[in-house]
Amino acid sequence: MSSGFYVFLGFCGFIFVLVVLLMNSLIYKKNMVNNAFSTIDVLLKKRFDLIPNLVAAVKGYMAHEAGVFTKIAELRSRALSGQGTLNETIALDSELTGVLRGLLVSVENYPALKASDNFMQLQRTLNEVEEQISAARRAFNAAVNEYNNAVQMVPTNVLASLMNYREKKFFTILEAEKKNINTGELLK
Amino acid sequence: MAVKTLSELADFYSAVLLPVLRPLEAKRKKLAGGYLKLTLITAVVLLLVFIVFVAGNGRLWWLFLFPGAAGLWVGIDLYGVGRSYTAEFKNSVIAALVGFLDKGLVYNWESHIGLEEYQNSRIFLQRVDRYSGDDLVSGKLDKTRIRFSELHTEYKTQTTDSKGHTETHWHTIFKGLFFIADFNKDFNGCTVVLPDVAEKMLGGFLGGLLQNMNLSRAKLIKLEDPEFEKNFAVYGEDQVTARYILSTSLMERLLAYKKETNKTVYFSFVDSRIYVAVAYNKNLFEPKIFGTILSFEAIKEYFLDLKLAVDLVDELSLNTRIWSKT
Repeated sequence: MSSGFYVFLGFCGFIFVLVVLLMNSLIYKKNMVNNAFSTIDVLLKKRFDLIPNLVAAVKGYMAHEAGVFTKIAELRSRALSGQGTLNETIALDSELTGVLRGLLVSVENYPALKASDNFMQLQRTLNEVEEQISAARRAFNAAVNEYNNAVQMVPTNVLASLMNYREKKFFTILEAEKKNINTGELLK
Repeated sequence: MAVKTLSELADFYSAVLLPVLRPLEAKRKKLAGGYLKLTLITAVVLLLVFIVFVAGNGRLWWLFLFPGAAGLWVGIDLYGVGRSYTAEFKNSVIAALVGFLDKGLVYNWESHIGLEEYQNSRIFLQRVDRYSGDDLVSGKLDKTRIRFSELHTEYKTQTTDSKGHTETHWHTIFKGLFFIADFNKDFNGCTVVLPDVAEKMLGGFLGGLLQNMNLSRAKLIKLEDPEFEKNFAVYGEDQVTARYILSTSLMERLLAYKKETNKTVYFSFVDSRIYVAVAYNKNLFEPKIFGTILSFEAIKEYFLDLKLAVDLVDELSLNTRIWSKT
């Protein structure tokens, strides 16, 4: 056979390897996004698990603010029951964050509670989980950014459209969460 | 921790340090005089070498005995004086400055951070062949335990020329201040923040590709602060842990610290501890031999070098304990 054929064969082999590598990198990036999302999920669960403890610690002192506790319990059970979509989880999370923050602010009015060891420990743990959740959100956004870059940039964009990979949305803070929390509203 | 100002230092200098510095200044003058003598003797020896070997064919070799003996005597004397001068200076002046910065700190000029801790930081992965250091400061600032010392680490390479002569070359890995403290959050694993060379020269995209290829490090972690990314490259074992440590506010603080020191700084976070290496190209906390030690400017320099390390606790707000680590 002529040497031209071998060159052609070599070229085809090269293209094949290249396509496989690029496809794998796309799949890898997509899995990274899923993995990052599941980390957020795990941390959110961790926080939901803390809530009964927090409520138990606070309830005795703040009995007349029962409305908040019902709200928290309701949000928690909704979050734990459903296998929510990304957007639902985000919405639930931010709503819960708002209510919890409001609760923690109103604790200022109860010095005895604020000073109790049990509550202080819970607050620290909650702070920690919050910080971890925020870290996980940022990790998720970084993974989405990597993935979106691959989906939009040449040459992976061609493969991405063939594989039906679309851009993913970033984990953004909802408008409600950006606003300052009105404790009075929350405790009505 | 109360931050000490330069005017407070000026008061401390005239009240406490000056009386200590005066006798030391006399010692320094003696030392400087000794060096002058040694230089003169060396000049005489060189002159004699010229006379004996170039003009006199080597017959008058015994002429060397006198300056040689004198040189040896002055040299031994100088070594002793020099060592006691350094020890006295550090034990009185530097130790007093350390105590002035914070009562909770202890200074030991002969100790340093150990090799194991240095390696544990994972900042420098190069094999160490020569390890030295001094000026260890340790203690507790409010809730944070800290330790720092001067360190100099080197590795060697050997080259053999065509005649079979082997030559050893020493290369510095790190020279400067090495700092260890408790970090205010609990975490496992290792996250390293290194000065970014690739991204600064090649820009975000190409530089990022190059950093990704660094095989000796764990995974490259891309953070969202572009200014931070331009200055540092972050490697870590876990994406979430790295971001848990490097919160947006800590990124700003690290960046500010780097800008303030205007030096090459390395950070690493290993098993709930923070390691910081600040590169210097001078020997720190060494007493002057030529030139007076009585001036306030000289004291100010020691003070600022010490403060740079101690301030880390405040600047990185390591005393903020709102997480479960107390």
